[in-house]
Amino acid sequence: MINIYQVAYKNLLRKKTRSMLTVLGIALSAWVLVSLFGFNNGYEQSLNHDIDNLGYQLLVTAKGCPYEAATLMLKGGTGLRYLKEELITEINKNQEVEKITPMLMQVVLDPNKGESGGLTAYLGIDAATYPGMKTFLKFQAGNWFTPSASNEVVMGYEAAELEQREVGDIYLIPEKNLELKVVGVLKRTGTQDDGTIFVPIKTLQQVFGKTGQVTGLGIKVSKNADLVRFEDKMYNLPDVQVVSMVQVKQTILNLVGTAKVMVLSIAIIAIVIALLGVINTVLMSVFERYQEIGILKSIGAMPLDIFKMVWTETLILCAIGSLVGIGLAMILAQISDLLIRRIIPYAPAGMLVQVDFSLILFTLLVMIAIGLLGGIYPAWRAASIRPLEAIRSEGE
Amino acid sequence: MKKILLLFFGLTLLFQTTTLGAVGCDLNDPDRDVKRFFPQMTNYRTEYLSIKTLGGENLYLLIQQRYGDKFKGLYETIDVPYTVYTVLKGKEIIGYIHGVNQKGKYGGLQVFLVFDPRGTIIRQYFQKMTASYAGKFRSDSFSSQFIGLKLADFIKYDVVTGKFPPKVKNPVPEGEDDFKAALRGAKKNLILMDIFVFNRQGREK
Repeated sequence: MINIYQVAYKNLLRKKTRSMLTVLGIALSAWVLVSLFGFNNGYEQSLNHDIDNLGYQLLVTAKGCPYEAATLMLKGGTGLRYLKEELITEINKNQEVEKITPMLMQVVLDPNKGESGGLTAYLGIDAATYPGMKTFLKFQAGNWFTPSASNEVVMGYEAAELEQREVGDIYLIPEKNLELKVVGVLKRTGTQDDGTIFVPIKTLQQVFGKTGQVTGLGIKVSKNADLVRFEDKMYNLPDVQVVSMVQVKQTILNLVGTAKVMVLSIAIIAIVIALLGVINTVLMSVFERYQEIGILKSIGAMPLDIFKMVWTETLILCAIGSLVGIGLAMILAQISDLLIRRIIPYAPAGMLVQVDFSLILFTLLVMIAIGLLGGIYPAWRAASIRPLEAIRSEGE
Repeated sequence: MKKILLLFFGLTLLFQTTTLGAVGCDLNDPDRDVKRFFPQMTNYRTEYLSIKTLGGENLYLLIQQRYGDKFKGLYETIDVPYTVYTVLKGKEIIGYIHGVNQKGKYGGLQVFLVFDPRGTIIRQYFQKMTASYAGKFRSDSFSSQFIGLKLADFIKYDVVTGKFPPKVKNPVPEGEDDFKAALRGAKKNLILMDIFVFNRQGREK
């Protein structure tokens, strides 16, 4: 004997095109919803990963000093300002400091790069403290130089690729004519470390005549420390600018927040349209089956049975639509990723749209709940049909 | 401050977008450089070709056979994207430009060759060379020695021993390693262009 669910299913098959279009509408809404929440998860995770990969929470530089290679290159290698290395001892006195590492950025003009010369940046680091902060850096070959090493160099993957260097090769710092031995080539990280050439800080200080000077201090703060208070303390140091990675993260999240609100608005509109589509489809179907429902009731179907039947139709439409939408979102996650990257001001490395099981379940439940809500009115209308009126209307 | 941060992260993103796949060898400023080599040009076409997609492992082996040595290092891989610039004057092809990366003694060399439509070198250019004597290798007196040479002039050149070199003289006696690297890069460039454009032997696509 045929049950109520089979009847509902067969009813939907009677108007295949209409049912398919409704499913498509729901699917698109589900797709937008999954992608939006997937982006919410993925973006923050990727951003955290990027920030963590910097290895330190605070960067202390001299006021007005460009603190990253990229900015430095833009300024043509000029504008560097220096801090005294002794500042490390002073900052280390703070109990909030877990680790501190000095860095010295230097740039040379290589006249034999391109038509009119090109810039190459070097990052002087302390082999005793820097690797401990950047524990995620892994080696393709070789290792870090030893703390006492002088004429050695470690290259990021892309820097090594461009210079065609392998462990054991010689690398020359143009302009200074200093030969360094390549002792390590890093694996790809997807960050600017890939293009960095790491040199022992003492060597760089000596070669560039910057003994006792650094361009930045990376500070890792202990877990329970009050970062804001510590930051304020750092600002009390003379001629120092402090870049907090938490601030950086918050700034980016604020910027992206605007884009998120826009997408969320679109998602809400899409859901409302899908909801109206479901109501329309099921209500049309109820009106078309007016006499049929009347006959069902006259042969013994109770209002609750009719209500359940119509509601089940809504449930089936929403469930299929949601599953299709979730499938689409998973398949097209990479395309969504690319599109989002074009829209937002800063996109971190890693997958921006991350779809996990809890998100799938959440979307499925939301879409079904919305569908069931939308199905109440058509189901109530169907359940309220009076059998005699319905049968009598047959000839009209 | 926000602007600096945006700039920094924007540039970080720029770096990230270039991290995929093996590194190729492009002209730094194609619009300017192509015009410099072919002042009469009206347009140019850029194609990205790789041994992997053109003929796979078989082509890779064939190239190494013609080359007379195995491709070495972490970076001379089968998936390196090579950029071929086809230079046009109206609809007529007036030449090609192609560069390869080559390991030098102190750093990477970028060996560009400029060809006429029949595959004869009309210009040699090191886009990048790291060495204290690099200026001598980048001079006109050195690069002009390549003018008029073809693949046939390099085919006997042994890239391993340096025997049977083409008629090109080393401008810096202490730079023998880089001189050999320059010839090695030029031979690699000529073989690849023979496969990519002039002869298309071994190509499946």
